[in-house]
Amino acid sequence: MKITRRAVIALTAAAIAMPAFAQEWPSEPVHVYVGFPAGSSPDLLARIITEPLAERLGQPVVVENKPGAGGVIGVQQMLANAEGGHVFGTSINGPLTTSPRLVPDIGYDVATDIAPVALIATSPLVLAVNAKNEAGDLQGFVDLAKAEPGALSYGSVGQGSGAHLTAELFDADAGIEMLHVPFTSYAEVTTSIIGGEIDAGFMAPSAALPHVEAGTMKMLGVTSAEPFAQIPDVPVMAGNAGLPETFRAELWNGFIAPASTDPAVIERLNTEINEILQDEAVQQKLLDMGWQAAGGTADDMKNRIAEDTTMWGAVLDRIEAQ
Amino acid sequence: MTAWEGIAYGFGVALQPDVLIYCLLGVTLGTFIGVLPGIGAMAAISLLLPITFYISPEAALIMLAGVYYGAQYGGAVASILLRLPGTPQSAVTTLDGYPMAQQGRAGVALFVSMASSFIGSILGIIVLVVLAGWLSRAATAFGAADYAAMMILGLVAASTIGSDRPVKGFAMVVLGMILGCVGTDVNSGAQRFTFARTELLDGINLVALAMGLFGVAEVIGNIRNAERQAAPERVGFRQMMPTRDDLRRIPFPALRGTALGSFFGALPGTGSTLSSFLSYAMERRVARRPERFGKGAIEGVAGPEAANNAASITAFVPTLTLGIPGDPIMALMLGALVIHGVQPGPMMLEARPEMFWGLVVSFGIGNLLLLILNMPLIGIWVSMLRIPFRYLYPAILIFVCLGVYSVRGSSFDMGVVAVVGIAGYLMALARFSPALLLLGFVLGPLIETNLRRAMLISRGDPMVFLERPIACGFTIATCLLILLSIWQVWRRRHG
Repeated sequence: MKITRRAVIALTAAAIAMPAFAQEWPSEPVHVYVGFPAGSSPDLLARIITEPLAERLGQPVVVENKPGAGGVIGVQQMLANAEGGHVFGTSINGPLTTSPRLVPDIGYDVATDIAPVALIATSPLVLAVNAKNEAGDLQGFVDLAKAEPGALSYGSVGQGSGAHLTAELFDADAGIEMLHVPFTSYAEVTTSIIGGEIDAGFMAPSAALPHVEAGTMKMLGVTSAEPFAQIPDVPVMAGNAGLPETFRAELWNGFIAPASTDPAVIERLNTEINEILQDEAVQQKLLDMGWQAAGGTADDMKNRIAEDTTMWGAVLDRIEAQ
Repeated sequence: MTAWEGIAYGFGVALQPDVLIYCLLGVTLGTFIGVLPGIGAMAAISLLLPITFYISPEAALIMLAGVYYGAQYGGAVASILLRLPGTPQSAVTTLDGYPMAQQGRAGVALFVSMASSFIGSILGIIVLVVLAGWLSRAATAFGAADYAAMMILGLVAASTIGSDRPVKGFAMVVLGMILGCVGTDVNSGAQRFTFARTELLDGINLVALAMGLFGVAEVIGNIRNAERQAAPERVGFRQMMPTRDDLRRIPFPALRGTALGSFFGALPGTGSTLSSFLSYAMERRVARRPERFGKGAIEGVAGPEAANNAASITAFVPTLTLGIPGDPIMALMLGALVIHGVQPGPMMLEARPEMFWGLVVSFGIGNLLLLILNMPLIGIWVSMLRIPFRYLYPAILIFVCLGVYSVRGSSFDMGVVAVVGIAGYLMALARFSPALLLLGFVLGPLIETNLRRAMLISRGDPMVFLERPIACGFTIATCLLILLSIWQVWRRRHG
């Protein structure tokens, strides 16, 4: 485009005449903070969204990886750099639901400092065991656990992690007792289950699937309300083996903004993200990584945060009481 | 597909012109980032990741892998010339490589490190092809008790390296283990020594610690001696050539280092840093005159360099055969594959043979390229020593800062480097070994986590360390090693 003097004058006049309306947002590159390192699952998920987002906004969208403390540092850094209205973030459920209880001096209040924009995707967990495990199904596993309380062990990716809390919820709802063995990554949990050192673990379907295909692991149930598209044959756990119909435990990943963000900007981002999530290619990319595209309004995400904070809060209460 | 068919197939993949170019690009970049102190393969691979979206998955993996093992070659250069390890893995190379450089044998030291790196890599590839199945079974057979017993053996074996007085060495190992405690305790979730700083919840950053201890401390130390910079002689091809005696000292340490490195590389979570330390400890143990170590012993360069290169090759065994990354860099490479819709895991060898065999063959090609690239470069690297300190050291500090910041974009880590750097300088004045602190830092948390995990799984029964065959073997070896040390001391006093 040729820049004429007239165009410059017109643009300047327009810029002076109009206050910071959302129509002219974004006026500079947009930054999206991710609390996990480049190449990690939350990072890849963020990039699946930010790539088409940049096209739609007409501005570059820069992913800022600030890994640490289970994603909490990403949220903190987003808030610390919040000025200017071009700074956002993606976060998994932990930093927005359980972390404020587990991390001292976390430095933010989810309700007052963070504006949810849209839920990007959800992922259930599967209960995975060694292929040689006696239990043929979930009922069989619960029976085994009941036969000798505390004899079965399960691995998680750390105290207070989604895998740990889901297993505690399962224990309480099924009326069983398992030994918790914390690890630091799903890779270690998987190795330990295949090696026969521990019995079970709740993990992302995509982490268990390759080992199921290789015949070293099997999946006894999935924690979502509906069967999950990546593993359609695995039965849902809700309503099975004595678990209540309401049993549901999902990880999710959402787009967030600092609370000071213009509501019109949040509205715009919500619309764009929902449209991006309608794209079948995007849905397939997410599914290949074990995520189900979600979407919905900003209020939907707000409700989800509130629901999960209450649900996991109750599980944490129970763990602390022990 | 047999191994021979696989290799033939792999040549077909790896010799495609574009794949070859990405391989060359990867190893060249790897060498350079390996030389720069602080900037490691992690940072380079993170930066390259977005580029890999636009090339084929096998070319992407081959390029990123090239950066990974190429960095192991480059890492030794700054260790030998400046006592600044380019990567944490080559920290142990400073112990004998730097004294060699001070004796005017920098060229020989570099030659030894390149040659043993090459030996380690090539043998590592053979181990990868022949023993991949066995190693991946070993990786799953290792339980918490086995890891704990093995790490304790490593600690006992290595805790006297690089120190003139055992008590001082022991103090540094313990200090390293205490620093390793910082962060969230895996077993209880308790936050230890974090002072309510979120940045410390995951512990002290290894790169920041290593660069502070070695890099910044060394720079501060040299400010005092800045005017005493000895202009090193111009290194021609002749000075670079090792004597017949030098050559004789390379093969056996390199072979032992390769064996150690191949084994530890294949075990998820142990890593190449540990294997280079253990190789050094082993060389000192088997040497007829261990007092030569720390004063420019060739074995002290050859062993660890072969070990960390072999480890960087066999580290791909759990990654490719089980889909289980052994370290954060491997996790990053798996991420690159996932972007391309390649699901890493036990089925990958069957489902995508071009990935596995293409990579294996590219290891061979890449290492050959590295050798061709590095041998002529030795003279250029050595001439780096003629750069006046007033230019060289500020540049090094900048690279250290860049490298540490690139790990996780944390300005808190910059503060850690500064504080550790000053502490490291004081330690150097009092002749405490930073290498042992680093060893304690790496091993301490591994021992603690695995020991407690083993006890948790066994419901508090310590007999698990004797009942599991692997753990039992390591426990016996540890006891024998302690008895041997006591006997040696006794004999010296009474003989």
